[in-house]
Amino acid sequence: MRSRCYAIAASTSMRERAAYPGNFIGSMFTYALFVFIFSRVWAGAYAGASEIAGYTMRMAVWYFIVAEVPSFGFGRFFWTLSRDMKNGQIAYLLARPYDYVGYNFAEKYGGSLVEAGVILVEGLLVGILLVGPPPLAGGAPSLAGGAGVAAEASRALLVGLSLLLAGALNYFLQASIAMTAFWLEENEAFFWIFQKLTLVVGTLIPIEFLPTAAATLARLTPFPYLSYAPARIMVAYSPGEAWSLVAAQALWLVLAAALARIVFSFGSRRLSVNGG
Amino acid sequence: MLGTGRNGPGRLGGRTRAYARFLRDAFVVNLKATLEYRVNFIMQFFGMMLNNAAFAAFWLVLIGRTGAVGGYGFSDVMLIWALVSTSFGLAHVVFGNVRQLGRIIMEGGLDVYLLQPKDAWINVLASRTVVSAWGDLAYGFIVLALMNGTNLERLALFTALAVPGALIFAATFAAAESLTFFMGNSSAVSSALTEFMLSFSLYPEGIYGHGMRWILYSIVPSGFVAFMPLRVFRSLDWGLVPLLYLVAAAYVGLSYWLFRAGLRRYESGNRMDARV
Repeated sequence: MRSRCYAIAASTSMRERAAYPGNFIGSMFTYALFVFIFSRVWAGAYAGASEIAGYTMRMAVWYFIVAEVPSFGFGRFFWTLSRDMKNGQIAYLLARPYDYVGYNFAEKYGGSLVEAGVILVEGLLVGILLVGPPPLAGGAPSLAGGAGVAAEASRALLVGLSLLLAGALNYFLQASIAMTAFWLEENEAFFWIFQKLTLVVGTLIPIEFLPTAAATLARLTPFPYLSYAPARIMVAYSPGEAWSLVAAQALWLVLAAALARIVFSFGSRRLSVNGG
Repeated sequence: MLGTGRNGPGRLGGRTRAYARFLRDAFVVNLKATLEYRVNFIMQFFGMMLNNAAFAAFWLVLIGRTGAVGGYGFSDVMLIWALVSTSFGLAHVVFGNVRQLGRIIMEGGLDVYLLQPKDAWINVLASRTVVSAWGDLAYGFIVLALMNGTNLERLALFTALAVPGALIFAATFAAAESLTFFMGNSSAVSSALTEFMLSFSLYPEGIYGHGMRWILYSIVPSGFVAFMPLRVFRSLDWGLVPLLYLVAAAYVGLSYWLFRAGLRRYESGNRMDARV
């Protein structure tokens, strides 16, 4: 019964977003501009080298295209959740007959899937225009033949799955930060730190570019699983690595969901509602 | 009209001093209003610096791997970030309404400024400050302080270069916003120009092809706020500074002319507003 309620919340939110396609224009424009500029940055960086840290220029551009999708599609949960808490909307939401964390996840995450999908399709088109198609899935010499097609299909599936997990992980981490508003009214600083760490650890640049110690440390945190994982699967696909990245994402997702529930459980006790 | 007194140089000098006093007073009032919300101010201040620092980390890693990108080493990139950040910050600290002008025109909010004795363009632009811009303004000086070879002369030159940069930023944004008089709503053009100008200014000039360079010294004047000031700063060439002030004066003049031309089409919204 509850899962049906959440499914309806997600699908309503998706339809609501899709009803106003004009709202995507700003994000689409900014995304295309970023991709264009970074394609030029990478062209400059690769002027004297054909490969850096195992990445060719085409891989680096496609990496950026995919790594930016979660930032644009799933990067703003914090603001709506935090706003609900600060303007008192939470008092209304908590009185409803549903689980607050679960319902909000369904509603916010569902809506964001539309924007993420639009950005992904745009990224694929812009990428093809700028640097040609993405590198072929690892191990397949060409698309010709059953093995090549199967590898491409498997990669597409895992990139999609990894993006979905990245979005869900993003939601629960941002929700945990937003719910610090139960204690602190000014909690944006935590989100900014989170946002910038996400940007540096795996969004703007692949983890492999970082110094070895920093890369090792980064892999112990959830940050690479917010954008690095789907981008890495896209540009350097190998089934073994892809599945291990997806498994790590799933593990971090479980931990982040548990963290969000713990923060909510303690934080909601501090809420006092006056008036009607 | 601003600065076109009919009674000779004495009157012109008097008006200029009056406007300088007006800008100073507007600045002080805005600063006091900002400091009323100290926690918000401090968070926005450090938030902006954190945002800029994240990109510094990206460049440190990338240039550490590849060497110069587009002809710029790490210190060059940091200097354009410093110049652009301080110019952009200064523009929004002094002329905080510069990116709200279109909305004010659209909502009929100019009435309150037209009824006051000071020039409406300067009055509306200077009547607000942007809190986060203080972080941008400070960031450039912090970067400069951390760089090798910074001395008083370089600090003076940096400041002298940031002022025309701020005027060019403000004039360009205000011009885009003034298009609202002609288009009804220029928010899309204005947002696009802001994105273009900031994005193009913050990356090495060499990554853009020769075909694009003319844009960077005309419609999107990134060349005058970042690339040319960098060359002047590097070579300590004070002789080129007046040229940048002339360029800034030209952009300000054009922007002012566009506003005045548009103002003839303005219709009062009969709105009741109070400036407190």
